Amino acid sequence: MMTLFGISPQLLFGQLLIGLINGVFYAMMSLGVAIIFGMLRIGNFVHGAQYMLGAFGAWYLLHLPDLFPGLGLPSLGYWWALVLVPFGVGLIGALMERLFIRKVYDLEHAYGLLLTVGLAMVIEGLFNVRYGAAGQQYDIPASLQGGVNLGFMFMPYYRLWVIVAGILVCLSTWYVIERTKLGAYLRAATENPDIVRAFGINVPRMLMLTYAFGVGLAGLAGVMAAPIYQVSPQMGQSIIITIFAVVVIGGMGSISGAIFTGLMLGMVEGLTKVFWPQASTTVIFVIMVLVLVFRPAGLFGKETVGAHAADMSTARPNSILENGRLWMAILAIGGAILPFLVYPVFGMKMLCLALFACAYNLIFGYVGLLAFGHAAFYGSSAYIAAFTAASWGFPTELAILSGVAIATLLGAIFGWLAIRRQGLYFAMITLALAQLVYFYAIQAPWTHGEDGIQQVPRGYLLGIVDLSEPLNMYYFVLAIFLFGFGVIYRIVRSPFGQVLKSIRENEPRAISLGYSTNRFKLLAFTLSAMLAGLAGGTKAIVFQIASLADLYFMTSADALLMTLIGGVGTLLGPVVGAVVVATMQKEFATLGSWVIVVQGATFVLCVLFLRKGVVGTLEDWLSAREERKRGASVAESVSQPEQAS
Amino acid sequence: MSSQSLLAVRDLNGWYGDSQALHGMEFDVRRGEVITLLGRNGAGKTTTLRAIMGLLRRKTGSIGFVGQEILGRMPEYIARRGIGYCPEERAIFSSLTVEENLFLPPVVADGGMALDDIYSLFPNIAERRHSQGTKLSGGEQQMLAIARILRTGATLLLLDEPTEGLAPVIVQQIGTIVRKLKERGFTVLLVEQNVRFAAKLADRHYVVEHGKVIDTLTAADVVGGIERIQNYLKV
Repeated sequence: MMTLFGISPQLLFGQLLIGLINGVFYAMMSLGVAIIFGMLRIGNFVHGAQYMLGAFGAWYLLHLPDLFPGLGLPSLGYWWALVLVPFGVGLIGALMERLFIRKVYDLEHAYGLLLTVGLAMVIEGLFNVRYGAAGQQYDIPASLQGGVNLGFMFMPYYRLWVIVAGILVCLSTWYVIERTKLGAYLRAATENPDIVRAFGINVPRMLMLTYAFGVGLAGLAGVMAAPIYQVSPQMGQSIIITIFAVVVIGGMGSISGAIFTGLMLGMVEGLTKVFWPQASTTVIFVIMVLVLVFRPAGLFGKETVGAHAADMSTARPNSILENGRLWMAILAIGGAILPFLVYPVFGMKMLCLALFACAYNLIFGYVGLLAFGHAAFYGSSAYIAAFTAASWGFPTELAILSGVAIATLLGAIFGWLAIRRQGLYFAMITLALAQLVYFYAIQAPWTHGEDGIQQVPRGYLLGIVDLSEPLNMYYFVLAIFLFGFGVIYRIVRSPFGQVLKSIRENEPRAISLGYSTNRFKLLAFTLSAMLAGLAGGTKAIVFQIASLADLYFMTSADALLMTLIGGVGTLLGPVVGAVVVATMQKEFATLGSWVIVVQGATFVLCVLFLRKGVVGTLEDWLSAREERKRGASVAESVSQPEQAS
Repeated sequence: MSSQSLLAVRDLNGWYGDSQALHGMEFDVRRGEVITLLGRNGAGKTTTLRAIMGLLRRKTGSIGFVGQEILGRMPEYIARRGIGYCPEERAIFSSLTVEENLFLPPVVADGGMALDDIYSLFPNIAERRHSQGTKLSGGEQQMLAIARILRTGATLLLLDEPTEGLAPVIVQQIGTIVRKLKERGFTVLLVEQNVRFAAKLADRHYVVEHGKVIDTLTAADVVGGIERIQNYLKV
């Protein structure tokens, strides 16, 4: 038997084939994401859920008679599904665009991100409630069963069909966009929607159809995937972050880049499975890192300009709500009383989350960078603190500090890789980097996989204070929180913080004043990572566990949510947001598998109705009241002389 | 008089955010005329065109086009009534070729210019039809921006500072083109700061200041009194 590097051709070609199949799905999915991003400037996080809808759509059509026994409906097979489902999913997409996505076109990327994450959680959560984690079987259509022996390998017909059909769909989409009149409208609308409208083209409707088309592609991929993978509520979740990495590698918004990169990376993944199986889940993310270092705009991307920092701050500089000394005292007193009102453990959870949110707010609120991978800092610090305390017997303070050190190091590295990018691009890169850490934690032996590191000893503070006493632990955590809160306040108020705010408001101007803004941003990002690490390490000691959930991207989404609910760029916003989110999580804990649905709905509702956050709304109300007062006093001073005369 | 107006703007107020840019603009454009809005930077000329096209969100008053109210309509509707817009920044699409740019605006009515006529009016564009849009020089981009709204059958052309930043010889060419367009029966509303360029072309001039019309001059007024306008425009 002939072998290549000691590997049989069957294995090699078999894995290459699997890789190519995966690549076809990557290409179809990232094509949809790239189109939607290019035309609508929306990072479509629900793409995975829409792909899942496609697979379930096919499964539903097959089981129509069982689902609606009274109606005498026929069972519609694969070929029907291939035509009907993409339309159906596209229609759902059009509806979602009309109801939700359209509302955030003119807003900062953060809202679109949170909105689509929320929608994905609602859809996937609902299917999870109904079907659980178990996958449904979907058989290969009868006409495509069997296969052909190519001599060096066995090629199933269905897989051959998927490869050919998938590539054809991608190429025709490319042709329509790059070579036809319709495509010219789309490309023009991407550049300058106002002018295209002023030529008489209904751009809003075109955008809706574009979204529907991209989503329909995901639906089609779902149908084609149904006979290969199991039809399960989780199938979209596991692919979407990889898709985002593919889009980043290909170059944001590049149509041909998405197709080529998708196919190529699928095969690279397949090859990695042959030569180094452990690395196969992470290879795409590693490639992404390399591409970012050497070709920051992606393999096929053009250097984009005009991306700006997101100035979403709702704070007013002289407001009473921004008075750090006052609120530091109030938080210290309130924090001291808190354990007598709620369980200390719940209080500590709020404090850890609040510190995490404050750290996130430092980079997102004050510098305007949409980071979406803070789970990496929070979680890695939690793991390191838990590991050093549990396995090496580090004293508590040292364990937390070790966690902070790792988080800071990661922050510096991630920051260095991502800092040149802004907006959604920055979000996707930080997300993918965080995912790299997540996959590492799944596989590394010392993290104990799904179990996480459990039974971490709380130990003694400075060797004397017993932290297994809830109140002792609580006040230690309170001290850490107040320290972090104070540090952030100092940073923001310092000359350094003023430069950060100037970058947020107008980076080119800050550069023209002679500031090397990238260095400022990098330093701020690293500080933010450090403080997020402080929160994560403390959390690991409090709850005596570090688990995959700490590293999961939902933790990053939570940081964004807390900051938004509270009020972006405000002093108190993250604290308020943390209290709200912690309370919600506590109240919803009884809902079982509905938790995800409710949480997703919260994301969506916040984006639609509470955009300025609690503190931001309060600021508006306060300033309106001041205005009224001033107006009244002006009117008085005007009317009084009149009375006198 | 206003019953014959192709475009009748009445008491037009417009805002960018909280700051008011238009304070009761009023003017008329009759069929077949070339009309200019003259004024300094920031007087509200471009804003007026944007308001006519429906691109300015906050506005009140009335804009009648062919006897129909178009204020508050969507830009795509207004364009399809027969108004062609050539914006100040030219808005040539960089991801499209010259020809794609030219064919981008959809035909909204019969009677648009034939492609051959357009190419004979703009020989440079014909030569460069396969280049990428932004590879053109400033003058060529301006020509293309005008050329692409001639095909559509629009009867009223809004040209926003077509001479801005261009060499005198190109400015002359554009003047010739505007004159030819008038001969072909197009109605033109021209926004200009270049009085010498506008004076020779237009039937009537509206001087705009602080978001409203402060003076109206006919072509005859201008012949002897170019200083009168210069006076308005001098800083």
